[in-house]
Amino acid sequence: MEKFPPDSPAPVSPEVETEHAAAFAEELRRVADSLPERINLDSRSVEQGLAKLVLTLIELIRRLLEKQAVRRMEGGGLSDEQVEELGLALMKLEAKMAELKAQFGLEDEDLNLDLGPIGKLI
Amino acid sequence: MRLYAYCVGDELAAETFEGATGVGGSPLMLVRRGAFAVVVSEFEGDAVPASRENVTEHNRVNALALARSTPLPFRFGTLVEDARLGAYLAKQEATLVAALGRVRGCVEMGAKVIWDAGGRAAGAVEEDEGEAGESPAAGAGTAFLLAKRREVLGEEALRSRAEGVAAALASRLEGLARESSVQVNPKGSLVVRAAHLIERGREEEYRERVRALGREREDLRLMASGPWPPYSFSGPRS
Repeated sequence: MEKFPPDSPAPVSPEVETEHAAAFAEELRRVADSLPERINLDSRSVEQGLAKLVLTLIELIRRLLEKQAVRRMEGGGLSDEQVEELGLALMKLEAKMAELKAQFGLEDEDLNLDLGPIGKLI
Repeated sequence: MRLYAYCVGDELAAETFEGATGVGGSPLMLVRRGAFAVVVSEFEGDAVPASRENVTEHNRVNALALARSTPLPFRFGTLVEDARLGAYLAKQEATLVAALGRVRGCVEMGAKVIWDAGGRAAGAVEEDEGEAGESPAAGAGTAFLLAKRREVLGEEALRSRAEGVAAALASRLEGLARESSVQVNPKGSLVVRAAHLIERGREEEYRERVRALGREREDLRLMASGPWPPYSFSGPRS
């Protein structure tokens, strides 16, 4: 292993160039703030966190089902009655999700996962 | 003894790190194993806190290495037992040789794009009460699905516009970027985050091309940064 005496060359200094420094600073601060510094582990937050995670995944699937239903409707393969039935089923699913959210004290914006730089899950 | 590992290379020179320190103020050392050299410093503890100071130190050491040649930076907070470093390098030799070849002679530059709220709103699909298929007699279920259809079309239009922004940037950098790593986020105002691997000495050309896109597209705000060590191009190819 080599150890060195003092006197080191200057490192490469990256330059940041923009005419909109304030806008980028605000945006990048928002991204940095979305990453939690630490996770609080107590029984209540674990239960709440688990409910949030499970409901987020259900919400993701629910939205995928909605998109699939829209695709099928646009495809023209469904009769008017089938469209109505599908729409009613999805309405009920949405209402059920609202009930579950209320039960766990969660809002719409809670049912998402911030994946940092790559954006949000939903 | 545990070591904090900053980067690995096959062209790292001893004099580059003379007298320099790393995370926690520990002196930098160069560990040579076979064809590779790893920049490390001693570290006490089990984990490296992700503090601003430590992250800055990590980048500063990698930037020091970048001054002379292009290393492969380790992920922030990488700790390794002194005794296991040699085994790691021997096991990963083929991967490291390929990865170093990929970035040799290059630096990473970054471009970020913000689009304004007006630009994003232009992607939304306006509500049209007289939309085809929606008869006055349509039931609640049909009305629900038609409303969802408008939402889906709006999201698709937004994604399409966001991908158009990414394509405009890619087009501007054609022939300059050897590789790209691009993330598109249509729902955010920071719509494109891109990293590009470019040859050393062409950094100003990169900045000028990003500037040119900014002049051409008044709806976009752009930021160019770099040169950086190849943080986005040191992992497996995606």
